[in-house]
Amino acid sequence: MSEADKFLYRDGGKVANPLDQADWATKKLVWIPSETLGFVAGSVKEEKGEECVVELADTGKKVTVNKDDIQKMNPPKFSKVEDMAELTCLNEASVLHNLKDRYYSGLIYTYSGLFCVVINPYKYLPIYSENIIEMYKGKKRHEMPPHIYAITDTAYRSMMQDREDQSILCTGESGAGKTENTKKVIQYLAHVASSFKSKKDQVSTMARNHGELEKQLLQANPILEAFGNGKTVKNDNSSRFGKFIRINFDVNGYIVGANIETYLLEKSRAIRQAKDERAFHVFYYMLTGAGDKMRSELCLEDYNNYRFLTHGNVTIPGQQDRDLFVETMDAFNIMSIPEEERIGLLKIVSAVLQLGNMSFKKERNSDQASMPDDTAAQKVCHLLGMNVTDFTRAILSPRIKVGRDYVQKAQTQEQAEFAVEALAKASYERMFRWLVMRINKALDKTKRQGASFIGILDIAGFEIFELNSFEQLCINYTNEKLQQLFNHTMFVLEQEEYQREGIEWSFIDFGLDLQPCIDLIEKHASPPGVLALLDEECWFPKATDKSFVEKVVQEQGNNPKFQKPKKLKDSADFCIIHYAGKVDYKADEWLMKNMDPLNDNVASLLNQSTDKFVSELWKDVDRIVGLDKVAGMSDGGIHGAMKVRKGMFRTVGQLYKEQLSNLMTTLRNTNPNFVRCIIPNHEKKAGKLEPHLVLDQLRCNGVLEGIRICRQGFPNRIVFQEFRQRYEILTPSTIPKGFMDGKQACVLMIKALELDSNLFRIGQSKVFFRAGVLAHLEEERDIKITDIIISFQSWCRGYVARKAFTKRQQQLTAMKVIQRNCAAYLKLRNWQWWRLFTKVKPLLQVTRQEEEMQAREDELEKTKVRQQQTEEQLQEFEAKQQQLNAEKLALQEQLQAETELCAEAEEMRSKLATRKQELEEILHDLESRVEEEEERVTQLQTERKKMQTNITVDLKIYIFMVD
Amino acid sequence: MAPKKDAKAAPAKKAEPAKAAAPAPAPEPDVVAAPPALDLSKVKVEFTPDQHEDYKEAFGLFDRVGDSKVAYNQVADIMRALGQNPTNKEVRKVLGNPSDEDMAAKRLEFEAFLPMLQHIVNDPNKGTFDDYVEGLRVFDKEGNGTVMGAELRIVLGTLGEKMSEAEIDGLMQGQEDENGSINFEAFVKHIMSI
Repeated sequence: MSEADKFLYRDGGKVANPLDQADWATKKLVWIPSETLGFVAGSVKEEKGEECVVELADTGKKVTVNKDDIQKMNPPKFSKVEDMAELTCLNEASVLHNLKDRYYSGLIYTYSGLFCVVINPYKYLPIYSENIIEMYKGKKRHEMPPHIYAITDTAYRSMMQDREDQSILCTGESGAGKTENTKKVIQYLAHVASSFKSKKDQVSTMARNHGELEKQLLQANPILEAFGNGKTVKNDNSSRFGKFIRINFDVNGYIVGANIETYLLEKSRAIRQAKDERAFHVFYYMLTGAGDKMRSELCLEDYNNYRFLTHGNVTIPGQQDRDLFVETMDAFNIMSIPEEERIGLLKIVSAVLQLGNMSFKKERNSDQASMPDDTAAQKVCHLLGMNVTDFTRAILSPRIKVGRDYVQKAQTQEQAEFAVEALAKASYERMFRWLVMRINKALDKTKRQGASFIGILDIAGFEIFELNSFEQLCINYTNEKLQQLFNHTMFVLEQEEYQREGIEWSFIDFGLDLQPCIDLIEKHASPPGVLALLDEECWFPKATDKSFVEKVVQEQGNNPKFQKPKKLKDSADFCIIHYAGKVDYKADEWLMKNMDPLNDNVASLLNQSTDKFVSELWKDVDRIVGLDKVAGMSDGGIHGAMKVRKGMFRTVGQLYKEQLSNLMTTLRNTNPNFVRCIIPNHEKKAGKLEPHLVLDQLRCNGVLEGIRICRQGFPNRIVFQEFRQRYEILTPSTIPKGFMDGKQACVLMIKALELDSNLFRIGQSKVFFRAGVLAHLEEERDIKITDIIISFQSWCRGYVARKAFTKRQQQLTAMKVIQRNCAAYLKLRNWQWWRLFTKVKPLLQVTRQEEEMQAREDELEKTKVRQQQTEEQLQEFEAKQQQLNAEKLALQEQLQAETELCAEAEEMRSKLATRKQELEEILHDLESRVEEEEERVTQLQTERKKMQTNITVDLKIYIFMVD
Repeated sequence: MAPKKDAKAAPAKKAEPAKAAAPAPAPEPDVVAAPPALDLSKVKVEFTPDQHEDYKEAFGLFDRVGDSKVAYNQVADIMRALGQNPTNKEVRKVLGNPSDEDMAAKRLEFEAFLPMLQHIVNDPNKGTFDDYVEGLRVFDKEGNGTVMGAELRIVLGTLGEKMSEAEIDGLMQGQEDENGSINFEAFVKHIMSI
């Protein structure tokens, strides 16, 4: 984490190094323009009327500069500020210096009011990990250091809170990092919007769907990059198209779908490349990565066999086209774009390359073109599903409508070549558009309704070359509109802030400033704008680029944003004063570019292609500008009579205007967030910043303009509490001791400062200042503090000196005492009595020694006695102890005997007990026997009685008998 | 007991020459301390005889050579020892804005010193307790009436008339609490107490 912190937080505390502070205050540092460094620091030495003598801080050289060229330097308190709107001296030099300082410290993001400015670091920075995403999640903008995540999070949160659609607008030169930052935005949203789900336990299938959608959203980029990016001199992975990615969210903030719209694909890259540049990546991926089977299926050849790959196989250091081919194909898989569609796409790509290999010759007798070798044509037809003969005829002698009839018209070599190139470009463009459509279909499969969206615009910024063409006009027109949007947004926000703070002040809507220039380009009529005139010119049979320029000059000559070239020799045809600067346009081929004509014979062949994929691409052939139109132009209007009906097809300008106006409508309904990307140097080098290059971009992308507008108002705002804390020192004893309301205190302080009432406004929570006022206060504060410090230092020095002096005086006193004693000794030491005394003194101690000895001996004696007593006692005790021990032993033995006895008795007892039991049993037996016996006795007795009675009877009988 | 006496005798011998040198007369009045910007001759010396005596004694204490003069760069300290709080700039001004070499090399006698002292006494340092407290409050980041000792050292050593490390050490001795912070009201009070 700390590694990343280095690239997020500025070093040091909030309080600037006091040394710098002192430097700034005393030396009156300013910025003066420099050829190489943009601006250099210097200190004003002398002022002479309009001029100033300035000593350069670095070299110590003195230079004389016009006062107007001097720009004030900010106090060091503002060093590396995160939001440049806080700068009190808002000027080009300070902005550049701040960006440079931060960039050199590894801080690539900086706010400038509404803008987030980012400078391409040209190296990997550890600030895009998931940890960092977590850090930024849910934080307010000012709580964290500047980052694209902060911008994205703000957009996401306000979308959730206010239910307002959001947009993030990334613009900048090629290579400034627009696309990279766009990717970071998507990465952040994909992370944040999906981490929501994991918290709420949703149905797992749903979660999986989400995860897949997010994956697909991230994978859309590699595909788009493969087909729409190429290597340019400035940028190895330059997007050759603009795009607007719309990510839809449901009410709970989950991503439910996405939609991509592309703008202004640089299709000419497919057929021609400048030195050190490449065509679209996909050509190289395909040629390097395709397997044998695919190679034969797609009729692929070697790089050098293709005329459209102007420089053969140009490789990019550190990039493996083969791997990227696999990666792209994987991305197709993830997007679930099936194999046959992929092959269909690649077939078109291969056909585009093959088209370049068709070569034409001028026939000997006529101007007609012929095609001696039709191998390439055969391959093209094979790939696109056409009949070769039809195709060749359509190229060499197409049918053209003349009046009401169709005639076959032979083409010249140039016409044929032009037609083929146009066909190649159109094929590629249509294929690209289809691809985007297909991706959109993949990203939009969830049926759920999106509640709101975040749109991310990644589009080139102003382009100002030496000479500019139609493409630049389109992109500059776009930027003019985007800047208008920004100015308007700023106006609205400022207005809100002033209202919230209850400040009366009418802000001027600077959005209106741009309207004349926009009108100049897009207005329909009275007077018609450049695009309208161009369209009009396209309908005129005899029109040329030149006649178009004449018309523009005629109609718009008085427009303040329009300029005719000053000198006749000037190669420019006209200039438009864009807000980013004056742009020279050259109108060559504008009519052609605007119409973008195509051989309609071939187009209808493609429309009827046996290959379903191809015919799908060419299903809307009726919208294209046909050959007849081109023929009309080049032949000087022979066929002027037969105009193509208006409304049948649309010009490039019209289409783009419409596309742009749709985009603007969308953006206007969103809350825009602005990201400005800046390229630091053209060498793709890390840690290098070319001041003039950056300044130009700041000018072009509206950062400086934004600052200019800012300065019209009260750009410096400071909350009451801070104002009081920082500047109370300037107004001592204005505020009574004890508690006082912040606003009241500030009112008192400002009154004491005697500021002009136009320089400040007091709001509900902040004090507002015009630009530069705070710097002035800061300066005064510095001087005041320095004064106090010097005075205090003098007191401190006084304190130290007095302490030292007191010590010295004490030392002196001590010394005097010592001296006195020494003097006394010197006097004494030869006095006999003293000497005697010194001799005798030790002896005196000897006599006393005996006494002491005596005392000691007495003591010893006493101790001896005491010791003896103790010893006797000890003996006594020992004897006693022995005796007791013996007693104890005896007792123990006795105890033992008793115990044994007890055991014996116990044994006996138990024996007796068993005996008793036995006896009892016997007794019991005996008793029962007794009972038995007794029973028997009774029985016997009864028997006896019976017997007796018997006997008596017998006896009687006997007796009787006897008798 | 015996060694004690020897120790007593030793420093006495060293001190003796110093004492002998101190009252030595200062006859040559060669050092001219008349700065162009400031006319010291117009300054009326208004010290009482007692003060005069005290000052002379103090002055003598700073003479390390024995010529009854002091180096230019000692003048500020003498004035401070005598209860004044001049800035270095003011002292340089009364000395006639001498160069750094002159500050170290040139020497000044007591009679020339007196009007300078008088000038400083007439225009004393007007800084008040409140001023300093408010000034130091600027560096009070927590707003609790304390500043970090380290910060104060940096402030005094880098701003204004920068103080040397030794000076700051002498100043800050025992002022920081266990956390290294200083209650600046108490600090200022202490500094201004002597």
